[in-house]
Amino acid sequence: MKRYLDLAILAVALALVPLLAGDSAYYMRIATLALVYMSWTVAFNLLFGHTKQLFLCLGALAGSAAYVSVVLTQQLHLTPWVSVPVGVACAAALGALFSYVSVLRGLGIIFVGIVTLAFSLIFHNLVLGLRELTNGETGLVSRGLGFPLLERPVAAYYVFFALLAGALAVYSLLMRSRSGMAFRALSDDELTAALSGIDVTRYKVLAAAIASAIIGAGGALYGFYNGIVSPSIFSFVGIDIPVLIGLLLGGMRTRLGPVLGAAAFALIEELVRPFGQLNVLVYGVLLIVLFVAFRDGMVPMLGRAFGASGAFRGTRAPGRASPPGREA
Amino acid sequence: MTAILFDGIVQGLQLSLLAVGITLIYGLGGVLNLAHGQFAVFGGVAAALLVSSGVHPLLAAVAGVACAGILGILVDRTLLLPAYRYRGEERLLLGLILTLGLSFVIDGALNYKFPEFSLTFRLPIQVIDVAGIPMRSAGLAASLIAIVVFASLFAFLRLTLLGKTIRSIIENEVGAELCGIDPGRTRTLIVCLATMMAGVAGITQGLFSSLGTEMGPEFTTLGLLVAVVGGVRSVNGTLAAGVLLGIVNAFASHYVGAYVAYIILLCAAIATILVRPAGLLARFT
Amino acid sequence: MLVRVEGLHAGYGLTAVLRDVSIEAHPGEAIAVIGPNGAGKTTLLRTIMGMLRPSRGRVHYDGRDLDGLRTFEVVRLGLVYVPAERELFPTMTVLENLELGAFRDVRAAPERLRYVLELFPRLEERRFQLAGTLSGGEQQMLAIGRALMAGPKVLMLDEPSTGLAPKAVAELYRQLSRLKSAGLTIVLTEQQVPLALSLTDRAYVLEQGAIHLAGRSSDLLGNPSIKKAYLGVT
Repeated sequence: MKRYLDLAILAVALALVPLLAGDSAYYMRIATLALVYMSWTVAFNLLFGHTKQLFLCLGALAGSAAYVSVVLTQQLHLTPWVSVPVGVACAAALGALFSYVSVLRGLGIIFVGIVTLAFSLIFHNLVLGLRELTNGETGLVSRGLGFPLLERPVAAYYVFFALLAGALAVYSLLMRSRSGMAFRALSDDELTAALSGIDVTRYKVLAAAIASAIIGAGGALYGFYNGIVSPSIFSFVGIDIPVLIGLLLGGMRTRLGPVLGAAAFALIEELVRPFGQLNVLVYGVLLIVLFVAFRDGMVPMLGRAFGASGAFRGTRAPGRASPPGREA
Repeated sequence: MTAILFDGIVQGLQLSLLAVGITLIYGLGGVLNLAHGQFAVFGGVAAALLVSSGVHPLLAAVAGVACAGILGILVDRTLLLPAYRYRGEERLLLGLILTLGLSFVIDGALNYKFPEFSLTFRLPIQVIDVAGIPMRSAGLAASLIAIVVFASLFAFLRLTLLGKTIRSIIENEVGAELCGIDPGRTRTLIVCLATMMAGVAGITQGLFSSLGTEMGPEFTTLGLLVAVVGGVRSVNGTLAAGVLLGIVNAFASHYVGAYVAYIILLCAAIATILVRPAGLLARFT
Repeated sequence: MLVRVEGLHAGYGLTAVLRDVSIEAHPGEAIAVIGPNGAGKTTLLRTIMGMLRPSRGRVHYDGRDLDGLRTFEVVRLGLVYVPAERELFPTMTVLENLELGAFRDVRAAPERLRYVLELFPRLEERRFQLAGTLSGGEQQMLAIGRALMAGPKVLMLDEPSTGLAPKAVAELYRQLSRLKSAGLTIVLTEQQVPLALSLTDRAYVLEQGAIHLAGRSSDLLGNPSIKKAYLGVT
């Protein structure tokens, strides 16, 4: 069980947060948001870190689930217990579709990135264009639509805590299973993996579907939690950029990396808030400096600093052709 | 009908102008410049600042373009150095992140210092009659500039030794090195040319429409799309793709709403990428 | 010695390919490196050209240590390489491909161009044709012609006969023989052993990354183990 020590420590630490910050609505919100972004970053780790699928439409996927859920609840008076899963299913289907088509057409990383980026824009314009349904830029109010749990700060926090726990659980199970080995082979050298008999399509689409489901879940829940859904919330700058930075900061292909990276970004965001409009510039500088200085991310760096204790090593496979028994 | 077609070609040429810079930088440097739109805006802002301090608009425009080029050289020689130390996919990814960061830096800086900025050049004559059809002189001027730039580029690439060297590197970097060609030195030159063309695109945007500091990301995205549709290493393809998508957008905008037109444009771009991933005019994969 | 490789260890990532390889070529010599697939022949040539960094050992050319030089710098010193993939510029014409080969010394281009076109009349016929539309044999000739445009002292070729019809191979080796007579130093790798041994003065046998045999080509032709392994003679 030492293998899961890091997760246990994380769980305890996160579970205790409301005890410290429970009184301040402001800090509870920051913490809750951090949890959502952590979940999203875990999902993106699956997509980009493990199966090299550069989906630049995370905001659109999350937003799709959110809008579908809210609109269904609003228009058809469905309970969120039904509409949220439907929203999640939509996101998962979209993600799987993108993945399948990309593998089918043999699209490389940048192509996938650009096609998904285009989808991001399509989503944005679709929301703005279908004004009667989505209320355009102003957005839809989701408060009071039948999800009271998310309207109480502490309860909402634990809902998203459960989401993150679920995401990490799924991630860990996947990595330990045959899929995990396939992912490792895939991210190393796709052609060789295919030649070794690994069904590349199946594993990539699987990863995409699961990751998109997590993203959709986060999106739909966030939509209700936030009280309002609007296109600017689920934008590229609003979600994709923080998640990307978070993953790079924390370390790709590690278990805790996405969590720590997202937390670090949340911290940076708070620090940068007083700069006002200049915050974008600060993100840019940070992105450049951090990526040049810490190529691997925080988790591997910490791993090296604290020695190769299981807590920080994550799920990375040993180097390519290293003989058995050699350190990673 | 022809008016729409003309409008489409004008827009399309602007798209191509933006996109060709991305194509060149990718072809030569193996880096996808996510800050390309910001170079366009930068050039426009530089020109506007000069105009407001009394410089003649034409001179200011040229100076703006030059500024974009100089910034390009600076970026290539400093920021992108870590990326150039790697090859292939690693370089691509690192370059993506670095240029993304750069785009934020430029975007943030410009939006902060000039939040109300809008660049518009006004021509003395608004409408010109061409073969009985009244056309906006701004559109004509913008297209003319774009055509001249492209013609010069083509002449340069096809007829000069340096141009052929550049094509050879884009086509096959290994083959070029085997001829004794140093890709690094040529690359800075090309980055400079590419960012200057972005500057031109930014200024012509101010000519037939208006340029705002927040347009950077949109420019970059459109440029990327057109570059990829045209085949991310093909200059001819980029020109064709830009004009084609510009025409599609013009017709779509006319018959349906602006949002739907944009969606159609994006879907058209995606469809082309899926059907011909190697590029519109790709002949040899 | 024009080219000397000493104790070379090289590979890709953690996979070692070459183990303690040493070969040399004297001016005007033609040497062959023969061996089965995967022996490391291509890796050897790529390491000499600076496309791959050795983990140990040295490469000397014309008295210089080539350590750390980029490929284009090696080419500019007069050591050229025609890889098995040829690496031509498919959308450029035969003439343009050749022109670019003379990049390191543009002034000598017209004269060298005459020489190359005279050596390969088929290229002259097709000089405005796009390189991507040439046949396999013609592409090989173009690749060699382009390499010659650099006015090299040493020409290295990786399995030049690959993918060529027998007639084209025979013609190719005829031209290589002419080049050798003109004083060019040639290093080639081949799977077509008899041809390689007939053209060259000396040969090395590379197997699993190490030199197993070396000697004069005429001697190797008569060597029983060579005969069995490569010449299909039992």
